[in-house]
Amino acid sequence: MRRPDWAPDDIDIERPSVARMYDYYLGGSHNFAVDRAAAQAMVAAVPEAPLMAQANRAFLRRAVHFLVDAGVRQFLDIGSGIPTVGNVHEIVQQVAPSSRVVYVDTDPVAVAHSQEILADNNQATVVQEDLRHPDRILGHPELRRLLDLNEPTAVLIVAVLHFVSDDDRPTELLRALREALAPGSWLVLSQASDEGRRDTERNDAEAVYQRTGSPLWFRGRSELTTLFDGFELVEPGVVWVPQWRPETPESSVNAEASAFLGGVGRIGG
Amino acid sequence: MTVFTQEWANAIAGTSYLPMTQAQLKRLLDRLGRQLAAALLAEPFDLRAGQRVGAELVAAHIASAEALGRTVEVVQLRLVRDLGLVAEDVTDRLARLLAAVTTGYARALRDRTLDEQESIRRAAMAQRTKAERALRASEARFRHQATHDSLTDLPNRNLFTERLTAALEAPQRDTDRVGLCYLDLDGFKRVNDQHGHQAGDRVLTEVANRLRQALTGHLVARLGGDAFVILIERTGGTRDVIAVAEAALAAVHEPAAVAGHEVTVRTSIGIVERQVAGASANELMRAADCTLHWAKAAGGGRWTLYDAERDRRELTSQALTAAIPAGLDRGEFYLDYQPLASLRDGRMLGVEALVRWRHPELGVLRPGQFIGLAEETGLIIPLGGWVLAEACRAAGSWSATTGTPFVSVNLAVRQVHRPGLVQEVRNILRHTGLPPERLQLEITESAMMSPAEEPVQALRRLADLGVRIAIDDFGTGYSNLAYLRDLPVTELKVAGEFVAGLRAQEPQADERIVASLVSLAHALNLTVTAEGVETAGQAERLRAIGCDAGQGWHFGRPEPADRILARLG
Repeated sequence: MRRPDWAPDDIDIERPSVARMYDYYLGGSHNFAVDRAAAQAMVAAVPEAPLMAQANRAFLRRAVHFLVDAGVRQFLDIGSGIPTVGNVHEIVQQVAPSSRVVYVDTDPVAVAHSQEILADNNQATVVQEDLRHPDRILGHPELRRLLDLNEPTAVLIVAVLHFVSDDDRPTELLRALREALAPGSWLVLSQASDEGRRDTERNDAEAVYQRTGSPLWFRGRSELTTLFDGFELVEPGVVWVPQWRPETPESSVNAEASAFLGGVGRIGG
Repeated sequence: MTVFTQEWANAIAGTSYLPMTQAQLKRLLDRLGRQLAAALLAEPFDLRAGQRVGAELVAAHIASAEALGRTVEVVQLRLVRDLGLVAEDVTDRLARLLAAVTTGYARALRDRTLDEQESIRRAAMAQRTKAERALRASEARFRHQATHDSLTDLPNRNLFTERLTAALEAPQRDTDRVGLCYLDLDGFKRVNDQHGHQAGDRVLTEVANRLRQALTGHLVARLGGDAFVILIERTGGTRDVIAVAEAALAAVHEPAAVAGHEVTVRTSIGIVERQVAGASANELMRAADCTLHWAKAAGGGRWTLYDAERDRRELTSQALTAAIPAGLDRGEFYLDYQPLASLRDGRMLGVEALVRWRHPELGVLRPGQFIGLAEETGLIIPLGGWVLAEACRAAGSWSATTGTPFVSVNLAVRQVHRPGLVQEVRNILRHTGLPPERLQLEITESAMMSPAEEPVQALRRLADLGVRIAIDDFGTGYSNLAYLRDLPVTELKVAGEFVAGLRAQEPQADERIVASLVSLAHALNLTVTAEGVETAGQAERLRAIGCDAGQGWHFGRPEPADRILARLG
C-alpha cells in the first residue's frame, strides 16, 4: 500500500543530524552524543571543519547585514538548522525590528527547537519543509502569513545546497524560487566545495555524511555561479566565503581553507 | 587599552563562532579589560568582578575551552604590563582575579551547556510527541478509511460485518435477537443514466444522510453501489425491525433535488429478524439479500419479511436447476412413454415421450418438478434437445411396420422460437432413420402467441417434412381459433380437466365443451386426443362424442419403451 501524504514521518534521534552537527561545529550544545560522535569523526577527517562552519556562519552574518543595509525586510532562510548563535532574526530585527523571517528546515527536531525559540516572536516563524519542494515552501500558509512575495525578499540557502544532488535538479529548484520572487529580491548561496581538497579528505567527509542520511554533493565555482542564473551577482561574485566582503583584510587570508564558496545575487528591476 | 584589547581579540579569534562584528568584539573586550584592570586595583579587592567578566564572555558566545585558555594567558602576560598597572600585591591579586574569571566562566559555560542540552532534548521530545500524535491520528484515519465508505462516510461492509459478527458472537443475553434491513434503491441505474454519475453520487449521499438521521442508534452501512444495510441489535421481535424499515422507506421516499431536477427515489427492503443463537453473519446476509429480491420482484418500494419456508423451496429449485447440466452429462435423464389409443378400436396410435430424472439424492423426479425451472433458465434448450433426440432414437429402433406407433415429443416455447429448430429436427431424423410422419411435436398455445413470424415458418417447414404438429392442453389457454386456420396443425390435445367432468349418465358443461371442440376440430380436418382419461366410462363418453383418441391411466401409464412395445405383441 502506498504511504499517503498525511502519514507521519519517522523520527530517528539515533541517527546523527546535520543540523545538530553544525551546531556542534559552532560551539553549541544543542546536540546529542550521536551527533558529537559524527562531528568528531568529521573533525578527525578534516580538522578545519569547525573553522569552515564558523567561516560560513560569518559569511551569513555579513550577507544579512549587507541585505538589511540594502533595505531588505523579508528573509526566507531555507535549511536554517538549529538557529542559535547568530541567527537571522536576531541580526535583522536588531537593526530593523519590523523585519520578517521564515525559517525552513526538514529536520523535525530542528523545527521543534526553532518553534521554542520563536514562540514569542510574531515576526518570525518556522516551517518544516524540504528545499526540494519549493512549491510547498512558497505555498505554505505560515510563509504566506509573514511574507508578501510582491515585496523584495531575500532567500538564504546557506550551507545546505551540498545536501542536494544534481539528481534533484537544483537549477529547477532555484528557478521555481526565483520566479516567485519580486524584482529587487535577493539570493544568498553558499555550499561546500572540494576544489583544492585531497581525495582522502573528500572521501572521509563523504563517508561521515553518508551516515547522516544527508550525503554531500560538492560543487565548484562555475557550477555555483550557474545557479545564480537570473540573478545579478554583486561584488565580489562567487568566492571563498571569507573573501566575501571581509570586515578586515586579515580575515580573508588563507580563505580556501574554509572550503565554502558563496555569493549574493539580486533580481534586477 | 587598545594594544591589550587587540592582543586579546587576536588570541581568541577562531576558538568558536563569534556572532558579532570585529568592532563589536573589540568594544566588548575593551570594556571587560577595563573592568579587570579596575578590579585589580580596587579596594577592597572584590572577586565577584572577575566572576562577572567570565560570565560575560560566555554570554557573548566567547565560550570555548580554547577561548578561556587564551584569555587567561593574555590577561596574565599582558594586562599588568600593557596597562602599566602598579599595586603592592599585584601578582597575588592577578592570580586571585584570574581564578575568579575562570570560576565565573566555567560556571556560566556549565549552565549554558545544561540549558542548551535541556532545550534540544525538549525539542526532541516535543517532536516525538507530535510524531506520535500524528501517528495515532493517522492510524485512526487509516482505521476510519478502512471501515468507512469514502462517498457517504457511512460505515462500510468491513465495519458492518465486524459489528454484526460481534453482535452474533458475543450477545449480552442468550435470548438476544438481531435484525437486518437490507436496502437497495429501485431503478437507481436510471438516475445514473439520465442525470449522470455525479448526480447518482449525490443521490447516494442524500440517501445516506437521510438514513443516518432517521435511524440514529442503529448502524447504517453502505455495502457498495446503491445497497445499504441497517443493523438492529437487541430487537424485541419482527415488529421493531419493521418499524425501522418503515422509517427508512419514509426517509428515502422524500423527493430529492438532483441537478436541478426533483428525483423521487424509491427503495426496496429485505428484512430478517431472528434469535442470535445459532445465527451466522453470512447466513443472515444471504437471507436479507434474498428477501430484498422478493421485495423487488413484488414491485419494489416496499419491505418484505424473510420467509424460511419460501427460501427453502427456492433454494431447492435453484439447486435442482444448477444440477441439470451435470445430470445430462451423467445420463441421469431417461424417457417413459404413455400410449395414445384409438377410441374406435383401442389400437395404440402413438406414445408420448415423458422425461424422468433419476436424481442421485432425490430419486426419480417427474417433469413438473424440474421442467418449469429449466424453462425459466433456458436449460430447456439442451434438455429438450436431448429428449427429442432420445425419443427419435428409440422410436427409430422400433420395427417399422404399418402398426408401429408414432412418438410424440413436447417442445417448449424457447425451443420453438430458437433459430435452427428445423435443422435440428431434420438432422435427428436423418441420424435415427425415423420417418417424419412417425414424429409428433406437441406445442402449447403460448408458443404461438408471439407476433414473430419465424416460429410459424419453422412449424410450416416441419409440417412440410411430414412431421405431425399437435396443440397441447387445448382449451386451457387463449384457444385462439385464428391460428388453427393458419397453422399446419394436425391434432388437438384436449386438456384432462375437461375429461374429468365427463360422466356416463347426465351430459354436463364439460361434455358439451369437449363435443364442440371435437366437431370444431373435425370441421378443420384435425384429429382430437383427449388427455387424462382414467375410466372406462370416460372413454365411452368420448367415443360417443366422436373423439379420435385418448390418453390416460385407462389406456396405460407411462412406462419404459420395451414394456409398451411388448403390448403390441
